[in-house]
Amino acid sequence: MADEPPRPDPDTLLALAAKEGRGRLKVFLGAAPGVGKTFEMLSEGRSLKATGAEVLVGLLETHGRAETAAQLGALPVLPRRRIAYRGQALEEFDLDAALVLRPQVLLLDELAHSNAPGSRHPKRWQDVEELRAAGIEVWTTMNVQHLESLSEDVARIIGIRVQETVPDHVLADADAVELIDIPPAELLERLRQGKIYRPEQAARALKGFFREGNLAALRQIALRRTADRVDADVTGYMRANAIAGPWPAGDRVLALIGRDATAEDVVRQARRIADVLRAPLLALHVETASATDRFDPAPALLLAERLGAEVETTVARDVPPAVLAHARAHNVTHIVIGRGRPAGWRRLTGRTLTATLIRQAADFTLHLIPAPTSVPGRVRAEARGLPGWVGWAAVPVLVCLATGASLVADGAVPEGGLGMIYLAAVVALAAMFGPMPAAAGALLAFLVWDFLFLLPRFTFALSGIQEVMGAAIFFCVALLLAGTTGGLGRSVATARARVFGLRRLIELSRKVSAAGSAGDLVVVVAQEAAGLSGRPACVLLPLDGEPVVRAARPVDIEPDTASMAAARWAQAKGTRAGFATDALPSADWQFRPMRTAQGTVGLVGLRMSGMATPMDAEHDRALDALLDQAAIALERAQLMADQARNAARAETEALRSALLASIGHDLRTPLTSIRGALETLRLSGEALPLAARDDLLATAEEETIRLTRYLGNIVDIVRLEHGQLQPKREPVDLGDAVRTAAERMMRSSGRRIRCDIAERLPAPRLDAALIDQVLANLLDNAIKFSPAETEVVVAVRRDGPQVAITVEDQGSGIAPDMLIHIFDPFFRVRRGDQAPAGTGLGLAICRGLVHAMDGRIAADSPIRDGKGTRMTVLLPA
Amino acid sequence: MRNDGPRILVIDDEPQIHRFLGPALTAAGYEPIRAESGHDALRQAATRNPALILLDLGLPDIDGHALLPRLRAFCAAPVIIVSARGDEAGKVAALDAGAEDYVEKPFALAELLARIRVVLRRAGATEVAANQTPMRIGPLTIDLDRRLARIDEDEPLHLTPREWKLLTTLARSQGRVMTQHQLLNAVWGPAHVEDAQYLRVYIGHLRQKLGRVAGLLRTEPGVGYRFGELDL
Repeated sequence: MADEPPRPDPDTLLALAAKEGRGRLKVFLGAAPGVGKTFEMLSEGRSLKATGAEVLVGLLETHGRAETAAQLGALPVLPRRRIAYRGQALEEFDLDAALVLRPQVLLLDELAHSNAPGSRHPKRWQDVEELRAAGIEVWTTMNVQHLESLSEDVARIIGIRVQETVPDHVLADADAVELIDIPPAELLERLRQGKIYRPEQAARALKGFFREGNLAALRQIALRRTADRVDADVTGYMRANAIAGPWPAGDRVLALIGRDATAEDVVRQARRIADVLRAPLLALHVETASATDRFDPAPALLLAERLGAEVETTVARDVPPAVLAHARAHNVTHIVIGRGRPAGWRRLTGRTLTATLIRQAADFTLHLIPAPTSVPGRVRAEARGLPGWVGWAAVPVLVCLATGASLVADGAVPEGGLGMIYLAAVVALAAMFGPMPAAAGALLAFLVWDFLFLLPRFTFALSGIQEVMGAAIFFCVALLLAGTTGGLGRSVATARARVFGLRRLIELSRKVSAAGSAGDLVVVVAQEAAGLSGRPACVLLPLDGEPVVRAARPVDIEPDTASMAAARWAQAKGTRAGFATDALPSADWQFRPMRTAQGTVGLVGLRMSGMATPMDAEHDRALDALLDQAAIALERAQLMADQARNAARAETEALRSALLASIGHDLRTPLTSIRGALETLRLSGEALPLAARDDLLATAEEETIRLTRYLGNIVDIVRLEHGQLQPKREPVDLGDAVRTAAERMMRSSGRRIRCDIAERLPAPRLDAALIDQVLANLLDNAIKFSPAETEVVVAVRRDGPQVAITVEDQGSGIAPDMLIHIFDPFFRVRRGDQAPAGTGLGLAICRGLVHAMDGRIAADSPIRDGKGTRMTVLLPA
Repeated sequence: MRNDGPRILVIDDEPQIHRFLGPALTAAGYEPIRAESGHDALRQAATRNPALILLDLGLPDIDGHALLPRLRAFCAAPVIIVSARGDEAGKVAALDAGAEDYVEKPFALAELLARIRVVLRRAGATEVAANQTPMRIGPLTIDLDRRLARIDEDEPLHLTPREWKLLTTLARSQGRVMTQHQLLNAVWGPAHVEDAQYLRVYIGHLRQKLGRVAGLLRTEPGVGYRFGELDL
């Protein structure tokens, strides 16, 4: 190892490469308002402009501070965009104008700002991302308390929760962070002088936020953050340049997101631990059968995603093994968990998650996050959406019912058997209302049973060892049943939900694969999306880059103009846009991309506004699965359409070049003969014998006929290839048609043609003229390619739902490798010297004509003794 | 009709061509021999000793380009190619492979007969004297011994050595097409056969100096150049 020269770390190099092409980001970071971030940014902007760079101030908040306003100097400022919102005129940063102007450097104050409703992005940092993606360098300002992962700490320090936060990755991704630092005392002095706020505001600020302790703590955080960053920069530099050094061990931090109030704290804390360790952050949520009624983990999962964690959700029966398996599989070294409030009996038995992990996860560092001091009351939402008291109320009711039944059965059944009736009641309670009501039911049932039926009756006393044993066993079995049946019921419910999901997926893939064309597919997808979401849905496909609605359920629904802007965004960026997303959240519709490796093939739009209930997670997941499947199927359909188009184009190309080649040869030869014959007659007609002169004239005449036929063929084939042939449909007597064609051919060729016409032929609706042309071509070929003394046979017979016409000759036949080509336009089988000339169009025209009448044509050769060719035409009867 | 005129082997797979060429050639005083395939042509060329061969490049059994060298291997008779218009590359290849000239289908009979005369005359001339001097081409006289070229009785043309070489090369093959390749090889040498721009420049100079008889030097588009008139 020591021999190998150190190599730059590929991952670091890749990250550096990804930054190229993107605009740089410089953040002026401060610990509190008034430290001079904007001042410094403007001052640096002016010096940059003095060097000739294009610097534009996108948005400036001077807060009425004269010093800051003076720093603006000659820097150009972008006019603000006006947004009308509920009768108010709001002013916002004009993102589109900035993108059009494309300055080299754009100064944009207050990164943590939340945009006015109706803006493209809800947050300014998202505007910055877009600017950077467009290659514009952005300078911006921010106070450290707005950092997402610090918001909890900051809230503890200053007692105010900051609403406007910036995800950590934005700062982490910044190319430069400049800390604007002044000692708290100096800041307070400036505040008192009225340099930061107006006097009355300043007085309030001094009592609230601007306490010296607060400022000192925030300053410490800002300094530490910047120091961490500097460290990371150095490490990144060292890695990129392969400088050997002591690396932090390959730490990985796993945040365990449970269903309790600590979940979000766990994520934030884990982020900080990961930052300090410079380790990647993972987050895991384990969905269990027995946990459907506590905190919703979704916000914590979203937060984890925003904080740059690799988030995963798994389903398991038991949490600890699933956590350990995940942790081991991902080489996790640190696990962060919240100290939730487990059920009392678990705490007593030591079966809490924390305890289990401490016992089993000896190879991990465990971080326990304390439960928040003021936990909001646990939210109970029972499995069937019934209020919690119903379960408890059901306990006496069911026990009473069981008592009634026991009284009826008393005497017929031994008193021990009556216990079974009570057990049934306990099982019912467990199945319907969970383990706690069932346990209560078990206790109550035992007492009632003991009092009413066990000897001595009407006392709680038990008469003998048998009764005591029986009672004890009853109680234990009832409790066990309460626990397991409750769990079982819920397992069944979870399993049923998953089976439902799976069945839905299978159903979906069946429908999707059954839809052959993109046109059918979009209808299926729109229908399924509407069904899954319970909302109006539509499918949009890009046409010249613009999303266009291609199918909708209900059929006549269409997104409004404002929503279509979101659709364009979703199409261009390949991300969700519109309602409740990061882009254009004020739209009524939400658009989700259908993505494949090749890009966004289309969008599914859902009208979200005006719906009382949000979509549940199960249906949301099913919808995403639908999108994935639809994307792949759409891509396939589009590829197939492209392929068919290309094949058709190639065929047309091939025909065109064959046509050109044919005209080059087949038109020129008769013209040469005609011209030559006529010239010979003119120049030396006198010297030629009469017979020679006659022959020359005959040559010219025959060649004229040949030319005429050739031109007719060319016109036919072009008409067929362009689909301009519209066959007439009238009943045709095929026997008569065959006889007529054969007789005409016999007259012109002098050859014998035998007609073999079946009795009682149907009279299919066809075009008599086209049939005649097909027969003429086939008979002509048969005669041309067979010896003069042999016979040609033409037959007509019924063949199932079709009529078959066959033409057989006894010529030399066609080689198998030629057979597949003989219907191609301009194809000519290589033949001996004696064979007459053809254009290679006859069979191609036959095929075209037969196809136009919905029939088929095929060739067989040799047919007997290695000789002969049979052409078969099948026409619908 | 029997005569003792030069024998011409007509190689074409289209019977109609033979039907009119036969009588036409006979009437012009030649003895036509008919071949409808490449193999037939090789046999006839070997046994009948033709004075000239008329070869259609589009034969069913042997490609015309492949047939040409096989004919050349044992038969010295000049070859005139019959080919389709548009196949310039094919013509050049055949000419470079040793064919004397070409006609395009559909050709005029008079033009074909004129080409046949030119080619037969040249073939005959080589036996007498290759460098007959002075050469007369229309109003142009070229005296090879005195290295003089003049139009009628005008002052002699002022030609650079290269232009003189080009003019005499063209004049020696008068009436016959020469490919760029052939001209470059003869005038500039085998190292410059790809330098077609030399040729274009010098042909331009030569045309300028030829003045009123510049029409003698004709371009055969895509193929090469032809010097002198056809006596149709």
